[in-house]
Amino acid sequence: MRKYLALGKGSFMIGMVYRFGFIATIAGNILYMVIAFYLWTSVYEGQEVLNGLTFDQTFLYVALASTVFILFNTYVDWIMSYEIRQGTITNYLVKPIDHQLAMLSFGCGRTILNVLIVTLPTAVLLTLVFGVAIQFGVGLLLFPVSLGLAFLVSFSIDYSIGLSGFYTESIWGLVTVKETLILALSGALIPLQFFPEGLQNALLWLPFAAIYHTPLMMITQPDQDLAVLLERLGLQVFWVGSLFILSRLFYNRAIKVLRIAGG
Amino acid sequence: MRSLREYVRLYFMIEAQYIKARMHYRADFIISSIGMFFSSLVTLGVFWVLFESITDLAGWTLQEMVFIYAFYMVAISPMQILFDHIWQLRFQIEDGSFIKYYFRPLNMMFYYMSEMFDIKGIVQLVVGIGLLAYASAQLGIDWTLGNIGLLLAALLGASLVQIAVVVIAACTAFWLIDSWPVLSLSWRVREVAPYPMTIFSGAFRFFFTFVVPVGFIAFYPSQMFLRPGTAPAFVYVAPLVGVLLFVLMYRVWARGVNSWSGTGS
Repeated sequence: MRKYLALGKGSFMIGMVYRFGFIATIAGNILYMVIAFYLWTSVYEGQEVLNGLTFDQTFLYVALASTVFILFNTYVDWIMSYEIRQGTITNYLVKPIDHQLAMLSFGCGRTILNVLIVTLPTAVLLTLVFGVAIQFGVGLLLFPVSLGLAFLVSFSIDYSIGLSGFYTESIWGLVTVKETLILALSGALIPLQFFPEGLQNALLWLPFAAIYHTPLMMITQPDQDLAVLLERLGLQVFWVGSLFILSRLFYNRAIKVLRIAGG
Repeated sequence: MRSLREYVRLYFMIEAQYIKARMHYRADFIISSIGMFFSSLVTLGVFWVLFESITDLAGWTLQEMVFIYAFYMVAISPMQILFDHIWQLRFQIEDGSFIKYYFRPLNMMFYYMSEMFDIKGIVQLVVGIGLLAYASAQLGIDWTLGNIGLLLAALLGASLVQIAVVVIAACTAFWLIDSWPVLSLSWRVREVAPYPMTIFSGAFRFFFTFVVPVGFIAFYPSQMFLRPGTAPAFVYVAPLVGVLLFVLMYRVWARGVNSWSGTGS
């Protein structure tokens, strides 16, 4: 455990070095929220409720989605592909460290930094400037758990993309396809409630919805039926378990194609 | 001073070699193109889902929004394809390797930008042109010869706006070294472009029209074709805005190039 803590702390410190980059991240997020605010104000013109959501709920959902996107952005896929290309991935092979857990610690360190530098200021901004009020309900208690599970789903997908670095030189294309698919199908850009009925039901079962829609639903509609909330949580647990195991099996396969010429 | 013809010939020669070199990584090109294809269509997907619940956005129909978005895609492509090298500027300023661009009897900006040609950007351009044709057929836009000329001028002007905004932001590296915060924001601000500027309140609309004029990348010039009768007069100067900004951008670049003192190595 101690060795993984050290890795997490290291990644936190590396992130701190680039603290000026965070100014751009926060400003970019504010810009996005401004667009979202005016877009949805215009959409809700003359309407109180759309697809069961009020303006406040929808705006909170969308603004938090973009914040969660930054929160889960750990660069694990980029780092892995870089280490595979450089050959430094061998550092993990000769040490008594589990590669997947090492990467997870790395991702956690980065995410904790993101919470402090991006998420908290955003939350303050949302409540003070945009005046978004949060409803109360049991969902609020489940939200942190759900967000943690969402992080693990997101990490497992990133980890698998990073492993594809064993097979291809550049992962720009793969990362872009992954990000686009997740953004489009998870509710990250537009609440899943707005999708056509049939599509919505299908999307709810996919792992993408487990990253954005599930935690966001808990915080925007916390007074829902407990059975519904627990069912969503159960599905998240299922995806965490299966993706974690699948990406582990992928690692065991991919590591065999590694050829490093000298050092 | 070399003639324009000579520069064009030179550009094709350089890019031919560049593309040959890139084609060694064929799988990379195919995967990147697929990535480009999907990422360029994701905002359009949002519009499509949104219009399941509404009939118009601030008075604009889905077809009109598709037209504006297609215009946007075409307008941002020249930046992507021809000026992609600008992303390297801050690294080259930092490590001093930018010095090499001073030593050729060529226009420096030309020489600098010619070093990269983003092939996958062509995917964006082609999809954009296809969508533009589709949307204008749906809307029944009458493509007279005059209209086509106007469209080309409008697209050229809009692409110059996009290029100017990003290159000016990147040029801050000459003074700041680490231009990343400015550059990444200038890149993201274009996300505003495909939306009707009329949804924004006064201060923001002013900002996106006069300060960082992303409204001129798609929304304002599109009105010349979508609402020719009722469009406000100033949208007709949109192509000119692009030219003016491009000139401004070139002066910023020239000033930066002249003031940079190198790293001494």
